[in-house]
Amino acid sequence: MNRRMLTALLALIGVFVAAYLALYKAGVIGTLACGTGGCETVQFSKWSMFLGYSVALWGVGYYIAVLALALVGLQERWAESRALSLTMLLLTGWGVLFTAWLTYLEVAVIDAICRWCVGSAAIVLVLFVLSALDYRARRASPATDRHSLHST
Amino acid sequence: MGKERMDAGRGREKGVVAKSGGAGGSNRGFYLILILLLIAGVGTLSYLSAKRNQVVSQVDSTLAPIPNTGHSMGSDSAKVEVVEFGDFECPACGSFATLTEPDVRDRLVKTGVVRFRFMDYPLPIHRNTWPAHRAAWCAGEQGKFWEMHDVLFQNQDRWNGETTSKPEAVIGEFATQLGLNIQQYQSCVETRKYQAQIQSNASEAERRGVGSTPTFFIGSNKIGTALSYDEFKKYVDQALAALPPAPAKPGTKTKR
Repeated sequence: MNRRMLTALLALIGVFVAAYLALYKAGVIGTLACGTGGCETVQFSKWSMFLGYSVALWGVGYYIAVLALALVGLQERWAESRALSLTMLLLTGWGVLFTAWLTYLEVAVIDAICRWCVGSAAIVLVLFVLSALDYRARRASPATDRHSLHST
Repeated sequence: MGKERMDAGRGREKGVVAKSGGAGGSNRGFYLILILLLIAGVGTLSYLSAKRNQVVSQVDSTLAPIPNTGHSMGSDSAKVEVVEFGDFECPACGSFATLTEPDVRDRLVKTGVVRFRFMDYPLPIHRNTWPAHRAAWCAGEQGKFWEMHDVLFQNQDRWNGETTSKPEAVIGEFATQLGLNIQQYQSCVETRKYQAQIQSNASEAERRGVGSTPTFFIGSNKIGTALSYDEFKKYVDQALAALPPAPAKPGTKTKR
């Protein structure tokens, strides 16, 4: 099991965590298994929407994008692509920043902690670390994107 | 992840490439895990969404009618009585109270169609809910239960367990705003005057298998989730349709 495989598996778990919250927000799932009630507070707050869509739905899209990149990165043509590694690093880095902002809102503004959001934040952080390690490995590699693109 | 293994001189991790010979087994294992995870995730979400539809069940007809121990609004002669088992700190109850209930009051209660009753079901997971229930009852003692009910739900984020460990002070401000006799109110909440009534309502909820809040009893349906106005009206219409036909007035002829 290598980093991109772990990235893909974690991203898939992230898809389901975000989908769980998005389906709750959409009224498809009746109650959240949260324990503290914090999840509902967060999901009903005004911060649960971003650009007209629920933050959880954006999360689903984000994780699907990371999953797709990781799966593409497992194919021979893209295995040593620095561009792909850099794209993943930027995407997961953006995810960390966005998640940090959401966590700040939970702690300082909404005054409620959603355990599922904390779980998602942990996944986002690990995805970033894996992407950073992957990018470092690609940088150390002499392989080029040009070679990768014309190898088929 | 264990010690990182790289192909000598190329910096490529083993197993990165899907078609690489030696890593084929590893890749197959990975895709198997991915597919199993996909099936498990989709299955779980499907189950949860299907469970959402199971939140509606038939009222147990072997149980006696729900005792009239909560707080009601509406006409005694209303054709349908709706009972809500609610928790003041439950966000879904807050959502119903602030988004749906105003319409229910205007369009169903004030028009005499529905009599609406609130029964306490303070859940153990909400640490500040009991003071809120006690405050509502004490406001009710002064004829302002529904006013306190509304202000508690509208301001959940000011007194809930995520915000404060001393909700009494915030709720006390609500009591002042509502114009309650504060001395009487304080005495009421401090002595926990209505603790037994609230506990009795919670016991009633447990007896009827209420598993979450809000849970509504409308006609023969028990609905364990917050409802939109349209959904609420649908269940009220069902209850109205199930009512026995009104007896014909003496001296009136039925049309053929």
